[in-house]
Amino acid sequence: MEKTVALQKGIQQRDRTPVVTKIGLAVIFLMGIAIIVVGAMATREYDASGFSSEGAYSAIYSLQGHVSSFWKDRLSPQLNALDDGARAQVNAAANGLLASAWESQKAGGASDAQALLDSAGDAGQTALSYKLLYATYLMNGPKVGAGIKKEIAAIPADRLSAFRQEVLRCAADETAAVPQEAQKALDGLSGEERQAMALQLWFLSNDSAAATDQVNTLKKSVRDKEVQLSAFRMIASGELGFLWQLVLGGSRTTVLVGIALAFDAVLLALLMMADKTWILDFKWILILLIVDFLLIFQMLPVIYMVVKVFFPEGSFSLETISRLYSYSLNIEALKNTLIAAFATMILGTLLAFPLAWLVGRTNLYGKKFFRSLFVLTYMVPPYVGAMAWLRLMNPNVGTINQWIRALFALSDAPGPLNVYTLPGMIWVLTTFYYPYAFITISRAMEKMDPSLEEASRISGASPLRTVFTVTLPMMTPSLIAGALLVFVSAASCYGIPSIIGTPGNVSTVTTRIVEYVALGQKGLNDATSMSVFLMVVALVILFLSDVVLAKKQYITVSGKSVRPAIVDLRSWRIPLTIIVSLFAVIVVLIPFATILTTSFKVDVGKSMTAAGNFTLANWTTVFNRPETIGCLKNSLFFASVAATAGLLIACVMSYLLQRTRIRGRGIPNFMITLGSGTPSVVIALGLIMTMRGNFGINIYNTAYIMIIAYMIKYLMMGMRTVVSAMSQIHVSLEECSQVSGASWLRTMFRITGPLIFPSIAAGWFLIFIPCFYELSMTTLLYSSTTKTIGFQLYEYWTFTSQPMSCAMAFGILLIVVFLNFLLNRLTKGEFSI
Amino acid sequence: MATVTIKHITKAFGDNVVLREFNEVFQEGEFITLLGPSGCGKTTMLRIIAGFEKPTAGELYIDDQLVSGGKTFVPPEKRGIGMVFQSYAVWPHMNVYENVAYPLKIKKAPKSKIKKSVDRVLEIVHLSQYAERFPNQLSGGQQQRVALARALVAAPKLLLLDEPLSNLDAKLRESMRFEIKEIQRSLGITVVYVTHDQTEAMAMSDRIFLINRGVVQQCGTPQEIYNQPANQFVADFLGKVDFFKGEAGDGSIVFPAMGGQTIPYDGPRRGRVDVAIRPENIIFAENGPLHGVLEAQYYLGDVDDCRVRVGDTLVRVIANGFVYKHLTDGQKVSLDVRDIMVFEDDGELEKMLTIQT
Repeated sequence: MEKTVALQKGIQQRDRTPVVTKIGLAVIFLMGIAIIVVGAMATREYDASGFSSEGAYSAIYSLQGHVSSFWKDRLSPQLNALDDGARAQVNAAANGLLASAWESQKAGGASDAQALLDSAGDAGQTALSYKLLYATYLMNGPKVGAGIKKEIAAIPADRLSAFRQEVLRCAADETAAVPQEAQKALDGLSGEERQAMALQLWFLSNDSAAATDQVNTLKKSVRDKEVQLSAFRMIASGELGFLWQLVLGGSRTTVLVGIALAFDAVLLALLMMADKTWILDFKWILILLIVDFLLIFQMLPVIYMVVKVFFPEGSFSLETISRLYSYSLNIEALKNTLIAAFATMILGTLLAFPLAWLVGRTNLYGKKFFRSLFVLTYMVPPYVGAMAWLRLMNPNVGTINQWIRALFALSDAPGPLNVYTLPGMIWVLTTFYYPYAFITISRAMEKMDPSLEEASRISGASPLRTVFTVTLPMMTPSLIAGALLVFVSAASCYGIPSIIGTPGNVSTVTTRIVEYVALGQKGLNDATSMSVFLMVVALVILFLSDVVLAKKQYITVSGKSVRPAIVDLRSWRIPLTIIVSLFAVIVVLIPFATILTTSFKVDVGKSMTAAGNFTLANWTTVFNRPETIGCLKNSLFFASVAATAGLLIACVMSYLLQRTRIRGRGIPNFMITLGSGTPSVVIALGLIMTMRGNFGINIYNTAYIMIIAYMIKYLMMGMRTVVSAMSQIHVSLEECSQVSGASWLRTMFRITGPLIFPSIAAGWFLIFIPCFYELSMTTLLYSSTTKTIGFQLYEYWTFTSQPMSCAMAFGILLIVVFLNFLLNRLTKGEFSI
Repeated sequence: MATVTIKHITKAFGDNVVLREFNEVFQEGEFITLLGPSGCGKTTMLRIIAGFEKPTAGELYIDDQLVSGGKTFVPPEKRGIGMVFQSYAVWPHMNVYENVAYPLKIKKAPKSKIKKSVDRVLEIVHLSQYAERFPNQLSGGQQQRVALARALVAAPKLLLLDEPLSNLDAKLRESMRFEIKEIQRSLGITVVYVTHDQTEAMAMSDRIFLINRGVVQQCGTPQEIYNQPANQFVADFLGKVDFFKGEAGDGSIVFPAMGGQTIPYDGPRRGRVDVAIRPENIIFAENGPLHGVLEAQYYLGDVDDCRVRVGDTLVRVIANGFVYKHLTDGQKVSLDVRDIMVFEDDGELEKMLTIQT
């Protein structure tokens, strides 16, 4: 009786919930709409005030950071070096200049400035006055002649510090000795003018000129004097943190939040409608959170880019596309990319299949070793390989070329091999991307029932014939999938083309995109249309490969796991082992050895063992530079955060995918898959174009934008690992724990957690390692404070010294190998990459 | 059709010896079954005959040709054997016809001959109307028959079957059992059949080799190994059996654990023995040699499974239901024993019965 009542109560509650839920959803939806309206109105007001052009927030933000570091690192120590009197004089001069500069922008500006300074209090006043003065000059632009600028730029580094001291003294004291380099500029000036010029020289001599780009953006966006003053106020207000930016860009952020809210309400309503249960499931909240994140940081940029291509100025036009593809250099780049990717795919697959077969199915000597070796290449940053091959096949001083010339007694003319060509690039791409096909094919081969091949043997077919009639046809789906993966990876690769193609004038789509972005605002449009092209190619191909795999995947009844009949190579055993070893030596050993030996060289053209050519200086120099250490810290930090956050999402997703039948769990899964298939350069460019405040979020030039980019690209790696681990744990193990009285949470921690721990660790490292040495996205997203080790290496290689960059590259390799070892240990040998 | 001569074959993977001193001749037209628990080495023996494994020592002849041994090794494709795999191993990228025609195609037989042979063999396995189908459109039993047809099409001298029925459901398994036997009989082919299912082995074989831990425990006709098991393992593996420790003397065996009760015995063994009795061979009798109390009875339909406490020992009795339905739990009963198997008690019983995998 009691039970019946309870049941009826339950039914009544169920009956009432739909109404409550429906009303709730409607309220959320209307709230979202209301927020959008309010936000839109605020945006209009703000736009009308003039302080709205794209990039204004980001410019102020970067300027603010820049000004702070300028004060902390540069000016403050030098001011401290002055005696009290001199310091007071410089300070007074600065304040005077500030007042007159502000007064010139707006009547009463001087009192505005004074009010701001006063609000800082005695302690902060000096710092603030210099910060503002600096910003004033950056914003108004130094009015110093080009000749003088050049002269200052030519001052040698060791003289610079002394020069700055002297100029600073000149600003404070008219009688102070004028440094020789400033003679021309200060000649004939006196009073306030002289002070202004001296301070400007001081500012100019600072290497902060690197910020020109941001300053230009700021200048453009703050033409209105009123707006300029509010920009000063923002700088004066100190740290413009992440939250502050949200507030600054508030109106747009509000619109974004409103849209997200309304969207969530609609999506939730749709899911519930499809489910016919109007009861709010907590899991939907999880799904919505992940979907929102991906929607904003992944889908929005991509969609924006596509829209931007077809509606460059707000109305439909194909002009961007036609302009882009009528430019011969771009056509060249497209052609190069397609040729290189296609050739790499063919070569890579031709290498991968025989290797996978030899290692997986025959009695080749040392096959386990070879297998690990080929897989190992997978985790080496591609640009390291490019560097090695560049050292080996440089037409003039390349080691291989030197050997060949010596061997065949050729003249000292360059060649015969030249890495700076399309074939050279294809070769390097192949050595780095064939492992993708190798791994795909090997895995499929391991899964294939060996009886299928044995049945062919017992039917009278020789081992070779069996390969062609059974193994190869059975492998076709995986072969195609592996080949397409190689194609996409090679086409979206940036590291190798940038290191090898750029010097040889072999441009590819990725290098063109990065070049266009460097051109600034105007280049962005062209970069966008190239990116969209690359993205469409990549996604279409990945989609095709999914279809091929899904349609043609042969499912066979597998018997007990019999060890496959090993094909006896007989008299071929030794020759084939030698060939595979040679391949391994050429593809793995020689490049790494080259990197290592180059890192100990003084003159890269000579042998390491030549007299006086051996040095440890490259290593000590590189790893003693605070800059290197800073970049290393950045890399470790960004990669850890990306891996941890990514893995959290991966675990939630794995749970949703493997343990629930909740409707809508496929949506984030689909988005994550899409993200991993999108070329890195495209992800980065999309984020640049949408995350600079124009959509209410400004994380341009911050660590956030890099971490988010990493997550979008590599999340999938972690997710797949955890999902497959969870799929192998039977639900009954969890159910049994719950029946034994453990709560869901306890079950997760005591049963599921420990069982999938190795995979969780593996998933973490799988995200961490590629993020750690990432280059393509970093090249576009870095700022002076968020440089990573990969980018630092790239800079060293291009601008500083090859031996030093080799030392750094080998350092990175060691770290990656160590991490792999750690992973192996942590998972008791179950996983390594 | 073919004889298989196995001489002292031993196979080890590293230190793990999976097959020890296998020594036997399979005669022409014989249906041989290698029976044993999983991991006993029976599949290894089959794969050695097929040529997928090389024996560590020993020689293997098919007819009079040495195929494995010493420096000689004939690869599987040159042995002229047909084989059916546990997973059927039907190639999913070929249709039924192509699958079956494959061995003949390899032999470069003329097209017309291939067609004739394939049609004939598909007829035998009742798959004629499925020739154009692909394996994923076939049921497990049909795939299994494709595999059988493929193994038979080239008229091999020897047919190897590796647990071919274990992936089928119970009903199908039973009918396939007789089909295979029928085909073997009509073609007169030598068959080596591997299974862990004793019923299958009993139903089909001319001779059964019962293997445990890589050693042949007994070889003989189904009747021989069921009725005259060579050792405790064989007795235990085939059918149901219970072991009782006893003391054999002149004319009787005493069971200390049954309170010293005895049963008559006229065999040759004396001293400590293991007595193996199948529960269906213990019957309720008006005045049997053993006396006990009926402790429990379980109704199984055709028979009843009863437990009778005799002294300190619980004895299992499988009885026809109508014999004793008037009995109630706790009632005193007496038991007669129809057939016993007496083995010397060497203290190794436990170890012997443990199945090593």
